[in-house]
Amino acid sequence: MFQSPLRNPLIKGKKSYQDVTSQLLDPMVNKAGKLWYMGITLSGGAMMFGLFMIFWTIWQGIGTWGENRTVGWALEITTFVWWIGIGHAGTFISAILLLFRQRWRNSINRSAEAMTLIAVACAALFPLIHLGRPLLTFFIFPYPNTRLLWVNFNSPLVWDVFAISTYFTISLIFWYVGLIPDIATLRDKLTKGIKKSVYNFLSFSWKGSARDWHRHEITSIMLAAIATPLVLSVHSIVSMDFATSILPGWHTTIFPPYFVAGAIFSGFAMVLTLLIITRKALGLEDFITIEHVESMNKILIATGSIVGLAYITEIFMSWYSGVEYEHYALMNRVTGPYWWAYWIMVICNVGSAQILWIKKLRTNLWFTFFLSIIINIGMWFERFVIIVTSLHRDFLTSSWTMYKPTIVEYGLLIGTLGIFFTAFLLFIRIFPVISIFEVKSILKTEGAYSANKELNHG
Amino acid sequence: MDSPKYISVFFDDEDPLREAVRKLLESKETIIDVMTPFPVHGIDKLLSIKRSRIPIGGFIFGILGATLAFGFMTWVFTVSYPLIIGGKPFFAVPSFIPITFEMTVLFSGLAMAAAFFVRSKLKPDIRFNPVEERITDNMFVILVDTGNGNTTPQKIRSILSGIKTLEIRE
Amino acid sequence: MKKYRRDIEQKHDETERNLLNENTHPGDPLSELLTRAGKDMNASRRDFLRLCGFSFAAAALSSCQSKISKAVPYVIAPNEITPGHALYYSSSYINGSDYCSIIVKTRDGRPIKIEGNPESGMTRGGTSARVQASVLDLYDMSRFRGPLKDGLPAGWEQTDREITARLNTIGEEKGSVVLLTPTIFSPSTEAVIREFLDKFPGSEWIRYDAVSCSAMLEANRINFGRQVIPAYRFDKADIIVSFGADFLGTWLSPVEYTKQFSSRRDPSGNMNFLIQYEAGLSLTGCSADKRIQIKPSQEYALLLNIYRKIIQATENRQIDAPPSPVDTDEIAGKLVESRSRSLVISGSNVKEVQLLVNEINRCLGNYGTTIFFDHYLRTHGAVDADMINLIRRMNEGSVNALIFWGVNPAYTWFDGQAFSEGLRKVGLTVSLSGSPDETSSLVQFICPDNHYLESWNDAEPKKDFFSLMQPVINPLFDTRQMTETLLRWSGSTINYYDFIRSYWSVHMLQRQKEFTDTVAFFDHTLQKGVFEPVNEINASASYIPSVRFQPVDLHLMKADNNDTEALIEVIVYEPVAVGEGRQANNPWLQELPDPVARICWDNYASVSVQQAKENSLANGDLIDLGGTTFPVHIQPGQAYGTISVAFGYGRRTCGPVGEDVGTDSWWLFSAENGNIINTRKLNKITKTGSGYKFAQTQTHHSMEGRSFVRETELKEFNKDPSAGNELHTVYAARAKSLYKDREYPHHHWGMVIDLNKCTGCGNCIIACQAENNIPVVGKEEVHRVHEMHWIRTDRYYSGDDMDPEVVFQPVLCQHCQNAPCENVCPVAATNHSSEGLNQMIYNRCFGTRYCNNNCPYKVRRFNWFNYTEAGTLAGNLRDKAGMTGDLRRMVLNPDVTIRAQGVIEKCSFCVQRIQAAKLKAKAENRALYTNEVQTACSQSCPANAIIFGDLNDQAGELNRLIGSGRNYNLLEELFTRPSVNYLTKVRNRILS
Repeated sequence: MFQSPLRNPLIKGKKSYQDVTSQLLDPMVNKAGKLWYMGITLSGGAMMFGLFMIFWTIWQGIGTWGENRTVGWALEITTFVWWIGIGHAGTFISAILLLFRQRWRNSINRSAEAMTLIAVACAALFPLIHLGRPLLTFFIFPYPNTRLLWVNFNSPLVWDVFAISTYFTISLIFWYVGLIPDIATLRDKLTKGIKKSVYNFLSFSWKGSARDWHRHEITSIMLAAIATPLVLSVHSIVSMDFATSILPGWHTTIFPPYFVAGAIFSGFAMVLTLLIITRKALGLEDFITIEHVESMNKILIATGSIVGLAYITEIFMSWYSGVEYEHYALMNRVTGPYWWAYWIMVICNVGSAQILWIKKLRTNLWFTFFLSIIINIGMWFERFVIIVTSLHRDFLTSSWTMYKPTIVEYGLLIGTLGIFFTAFLLFIRIFPVISIFEVKSILKTEGAYSANKELNHG
Repeated sequence: MDSPKYISVFFDDEDPLREAVRKLLESKETIIDVMTPFPVHGIDKLLSIKRSRIPIGGFIFGILGATLAFGFMTWVFTVSYPLIIGGKPFFAVPSFIPITFEMTVLFSGLAMAAAFFVRSKLKPDIRFNPVEERITDNMFVILVDTGNGNTTPQKIRSILSGIKTLEIRE
Repeated sequence: MKKYRRDIEQKHDETERNLLNENTHPGDPLSELLTRAGKDMNASRRDFLRLCGFSFAAAALSSCQSKISKAVPYVIAPNEITPGHALYYSSSYINGSDYCSIIVKTRDGRPIKIEGNPESGMTRGGTSARVQASVLDLYDMSRFRGPLKDGLPAGWEQTDREITARLNTIGEEKGSVVLLTPTIFSPSTEAVIREFLDKFPGSEWIRYDAVSCSAMLEANRINFGRQVIPAYRFDKADIIVSFGADFLGTWLSPVEYTKQFSSRRDPSGNMNFLIQYEAGLSLTGCSADKRIQIKPSQEYALLLNIYRKIIQATENRQIDAPPSPVDTDEIAGKLVESRSRSLVISGSNVKEVQLLVNEINRCLGNYGTTIFFDHYLRTHGAVDADMINLIRRMNEGSVNALIFWGVNPAYTWFDGQAFSEGLRKVGLTVSLSGSPDETSSLVQFICPDNHYLESWNDAEPKKDFFSLMQPVINPLFDTRQMTETLLRWSGSTINYYDFIRSYWSVHMLQRQKEFTDTVAFFDHTLQKGVFEPVNEINASASYIPSVRFQPVDLHLMKADNNDTEALIEVIVYEPVAVGEGRQANNPWLQELPDPVARICWDNYASVSVQQAKENSLANGDLIDLGGTTFPVHIQPGQAYGTISVAFGYGRRTCGPVGEDVGTDSWWLFSAENGNIINTRKLNKITKTGSGYKFAQTQTHHSMEGRSFVRETELKEFNKDPSAGNELHTVYAARAKSLYKDREYPHHHWGMVIDLNKCTGCGNCIIACQAENNIPVVGKEEVHRVHEMHWIRTDRYYSGDDMDPEVVFQPVLCQHCQNAPCENVCPVAATNHSSEGLNQMIYNRCFGTRYCNNNCPYKVRRFNWFNYTEAGTLAGNLRDKAGMTGDLRRMVLNPDVTIRAQGVIEKCSFCVQRIQAAKLKAKAENRALYTNEVQTACSQSCPANAIIFGDLNDQAGELNRLIGSGRNYNLLEELFTRPSVNYLTKVRNRILS
């Protein structure tokens, strides 16, 4: 089997299969530490704050936000797109990297996928609460109602609904199919108790027979195969919310690739943020090594550069198109009242990615952690710039106005962050953050040294 | 699973397992099943498990999804409730593409997952208990059929002499 | 348009009244409901229906003046009332000196909309924002419910008894009874007042106009021996020179003048030229072809210079004039050229200025050609001196009884102190005001008058231009019309309705040949609304030769001009929306943005750009004008060294809506040689604070070089009608589509807006608001850019900030054939009708606001909060202006849905009117007539700037205008293909 002589082992330490099992199942089998409880209290608090603001919005109306006649979308859609973007890394890692046989993915895909699911859920919240009449959300679905009135299939918002729900469903299946063998492991590790029977139930009575493994692999590969275009399609479609409109600064054909690259960029950044914490918290240094971090940083360089290129293209096009509105829209971004947002975006996204060319930095955990947060801030501002600065000064100068968020909108942003981290903290206590069977399968080829040698000697 | 008579041979690693499988097959033993904690490559070839047809199912359902989606939208816009929207024609093909694509993926994905569960008889079941708990940890097992009567542990042992087995159980 | 004969109802009422007596249902739901609603504003739909049910009966009985004691369902329904069918009654709007001949639309007995009466030779179907809004005043919760004595309810009988008794005693003691009213131009009312005066010897009638033309009246008395305001004919003048007279906005008779003026703004016709000399940027100044900034103090010198040139040219006389602040040779020359086809007017209230203006017009031979005395204006007749005397006498204690009607000196008199102290010395004080005001809060007796929609009356706004006012609903409260009250007090038993009829039979009948019997004549007039016995206009302006014009050295313009230069002049002006503050409690008018500053719910000190720089002032800073502080609004085009402040704000008593909105500025007025002057000098500007927040609906004032408004000069236009509109052909050539055009076989509704006629008066905004039940959101919400108006008049400045050119552009939903909003709505809540309407389905909309983001015209409005109580959630109503109160709700148009919280709304081209007209046509089995359908905004536009119609009607007016080279679409480069078209603005620059 192929084994790269150059690369350091992806799994460090002298580990037997048992070691792998017991180490990775530890959080599920044993009690949680103080740190975990502190974390969940914090994120839980943020979540409650957000939930109240959601309630307030629904009751009092969208007027509680800073939006107005001219700026119809702002913080809520910004954050929506941001979360959707973050939700791209998971499936990208598990699907595309699987197809490319990137073995280093085995240590990170599980948590990345989980993150995807949570992020998409957070994102899906916003289109719902940003409605003037959220109680009528069901209007969006083409169900046979009494007037046989369907939805408008011309509308990108309808495409969104299909894209996001499909993406969520497929990601969920993919994730769970991969999870089944590990749940079985967990089931067999546990003795008696309600916990055992729950996992037993969830394990779908997996027994690990060769035939099942065979189908399991085929299914995984095939799901990966269809998930790959799906990942690319989702953010493309989200970007069409803007690209298909006529607003200067929105009406751009480069949005689909630009958004996808940005999505993976921010997604990987978020994965890094989470992994570096999890790694420390659960002591997974041997499974998530500098190698992993570096490989992901390399992807950050690639996607970050694409994003940078997109920015340049926008500038070029606004000049080359010769459309006065396009031209103004750009000048307004760069030098207008929201200039600071634009420059935060440029510095955080373009600058940071390029710094990673320096090996010393991209192999430095703390720097990577810091940078991953910077990148996510930058990506949030990218969406803010696209949405707000394009809207607040569009065609008729008589309608130009400014936008200023209210506490309620900030509350929603904080709230979803709370939901996100709460859910992730729960996840790491319920399911193994690293795909056990996949790690085992590469233990000999990528491990520190063969497990059976160890056994022979002992 | 049904309880035929068999001997289960236990290994703690994949290489002896592969070795054993080959030996057993050479000496015309019938292997009911092989159970491993992770997919051991090559086993399926040795056991001559033929390639699963799940992808084909996925393909068919993908096509189905596409047709349904596109057909439905066409029907809605041209027959059921034509609306004048943005000066476009009722049959606005470009607008239908994204949803058609999504539905294709959704259908084929669901179909394949379903096929996988059905074919491998995977279903939630609280009362399920495995042949051997350690299989999902670090244990590799071969189940050799003793239906023909002349297969005995001794025989197996002799076949597998020189291969590191942990245990051979009736 | 249907007009119903009242006398049918009259006959009918007999039966109705008899029925009432037999029928004994206890309780009067209306008054009961109103008293309750007074306490808590939330009543159920059932209450509302009861209210409607009651108003059915109210309508049936509306012409009889007897009080209704019982509410009854129809036992015998009145012939002309069909539930769900609108009835139209012609009437007249009279409010102080404001007049308009109108048609009132009633639904189920509720007046809900005012339209202009095209039959009128004066206002010719036009209205103003105030007229449109007046219907809402009827449903004002804060109106008096009945007579009050010292603030406590007292029955009419008791009140009448006490007052007449005291009047009699005063009469016996030869005391003086004073009736204080504004100018009254209703012949019958005048007759009633005369009766009253005869009844009480020593009583006198003093007229007081808060906004007076006293100086003009005096000047005309001196020059012509006739103390009247002549009829100005702006349609006959080729050159109009106006000195601070905002005749398109507020001066004298703006609706009439706007009609006249706009009739001469068609560049292909014989287009006129308007030059405006003024300090603050007024509506007229905005429409002027040339605007020159001057200080009021410079006016006289300027006129004198113009006069010198003219007199030189015409009579070859030499007079000396002080150096002119600006060049006057050219305009003087032009005036001489177009002698007797010109018009010079001044808004000044300085007698000398008006004398000079008269003289100039005489020299130019304008009397008898553009100025007429035989159809003089009767709406302004008060002389300030009278009021000044009255105040003096009050303080001397020589006034024993004072009866107020239609005036509010406690608020509008510049020296409120003197007035209130004087009032304390008056023995008997009575107010006949229908709703609370500062004056009525000081008097002993309040005998509330009806709202004009509850009243009978006649009017003669211009000599020989008569019109009738008829009630369209029974008095909502226990009020009594002022004339009725005076009749009672003067001991007469006849009711005012009969009084008018008899008056008309005596005085009017013989003035026409058509009818011989009074009833027929009266009813005919009632239907028509107006009676205008035409007699040939003969140029009978007899200028009294004895009065030779003598230039005086006005202290206003001392020869040493430099010290006046140094001083800052504060000008108090009448705002377009709330006027002198009579309608301050009207939410619609309060939320109507000022056409120029685009600020609503406020008045402010307009400071010139340069001044602001020098004194380092910013918008929202507070400055002291020598008494009270005003927020600063930096106004491009404001003359340097002047500050303009609007009056009509800062009401202390008028009802919850208008109280403490803005700042009172009447105190800035002052009396000078018997006239009230609206200017005062200020030594320096002192800043007292900053950070005041305006509710401003437009904060960016430049077009940034974009071609929203395309304009050209008349010279260019005459060469090529499509001058300035070259882009249109360019874009038209580029307009290619993948798809083939959609056909609109039956109708294709469209609109043309003539930017050359639009004066930005704001009438369309309120008309639309009244027609379409548009909520009022209040100052705070407007400040948060949440205003709801469906049509707005964008105002752009071009050129130099110090001296900008101004254009108005009404923007409403453009009903694009390729509507960007339709594509993006996920639930197809907005889509296109088969008649080319971009329609909005409120109950399908769930508020993604995507359509609004994608609308390049930003005409869509979102219900940010529960403004209307139509939402599903409880406890979140935001109704600052009390528009959801039971009484206010009666103004709602039942044909238009109330929008719920979280729903997008926008202009529908008044689809309810289109449907109604189509149904009518179908019932009558015919096709729609041309222009049978009119939108609210187009119908009452005083400038005829908005034309609505069917684009399929090839021969129609619409296509004629679209065919003209001036036509273009807003943002046509986007290829949204709007159904609303604009005509280029053409400026007539005859001066270099």
